[in-house]
Amino acid sequence: MSGDVSGGEPVVLRMSAVGDDPAGVTTALTDAFARIRDAVEAGRPVVVVLAAGNLMGQGDPLDAAVATGLLGMVRTFGIEGAKPGWRVNAVAGGEDDEAAVEATVATIAAAAHVTGQLISVGGANLGKVPA
Amino acid sequence: MSGAAIVTGAAGGLGGRIGERLAAAGHDLILVDLDPAVGEVAAAQGARAVVADLTSPDGVDAVLAAAGDDVAVLVNNAGITRDARAPKLTEERFAAVIDINLTAAIRLTLALERRYREGASVVNLSSRASLGNFGQANYSASKAGLVGFGRALAQRWAPRVRINAVAPSLVDTPMTQAMPPDVLAKLVARIPAGRIGTPDDVAGIVAFLCSADAAYVTGQVIYACGGRSLAP
Repeated sequence: MSGDVSGGEPVVLRMSAVGDDPAGVTTALTDAFARIRDAVEAGRPVVVVLAAGNLMGQGDPLDAAVATGLLGMVRTFGIEGAKPGWRVNAVAGGEDDEAAVEATVATIAAAAHVTGQLISVGGANLGKVPA
Repeated sequence: MSGAAIVTGAAGGLGGRIGERLAAAGHDLILVDLDPAVGEVAAAQGARAVVADLTSPDGVDAVLAAAGDDVAVLVNNAGITRDARAPKLTEERFAAVIDINLTAAIRLTLALERRYREGASVVNLSSRASLGNFGQANYSASKAGLVGFGRALAQRWAPRVRINAVAPSLVDTPMTQAMPPDVLAKLVARIPAGRIGTPDDVAGIVAFLCSADAAYVTGQVIYACGGRSLAP
């Protein structure tokens, strides 16, 4: 997981591949949790960028575990942050959706009343099980 | 139906009941838990017990040694909670829940890859909390992670092995019985079914997913939560 958590800008976390060691799942999720927790305590909005294919389990099983784990975490931050006003959301897109993902990240980071949501960009997985 | 059926977290009320249902289906039952009390549960069911810490390589090896080469069922039921609102939740307590609930399940499932028989079934105990739950960033992430892991493995291992998940809400186990009665009553009031779930409610779904009746079901999640996943 990479992302800048300094300054006053929104924090954007981008999931990276876990590798072959299952221990990487614990590391990736724990690292993301700490970054999101620290960001919301600093009053900064968070956007987690996920690969749509990982949410659907279309790739590596460990990457899929981290992706859906992050989404569950985003939703819990949304629930816990309803009163204090935390804004934590996720954006998911396919490999060809990079520009649309970036535009959506900027939009959702600035949205004052959206939290705990997954915004899916592109239509690759329409008609499939919701993430 | 035969072949080995492995149930983790089997010393507790839910795991024990799942074991009973699988034994009734004719499986050679192997009950796994860190708690040595799993020995008594296994003895009562005519099953074998493995006392193991599944977060360690030795623990996984102990299960592999007992499993043999004809595994028909794996139920990843072992789990813990370490609840706290995010600002009060330390990385250590976050990681502990992920390690046991998710990463240990991943390790065991993958370690058994060559042992599964054709048509074997893996069932992961997820939770309604995978959709988000106050004070449970760690638990929610772990149970949601099981969903993604199962979806991916279901596609990778099809058609040889099916992988599904069951997502309960509150279940009447020692863990929920330890909750303050007024808190528990408020939570139960939010369940459209009007009652807490029983271990049988969940064990029945697990048994179904492991049966031939579910031969065409893989990569799915069944929310056995009395409608809690929909209610306000």
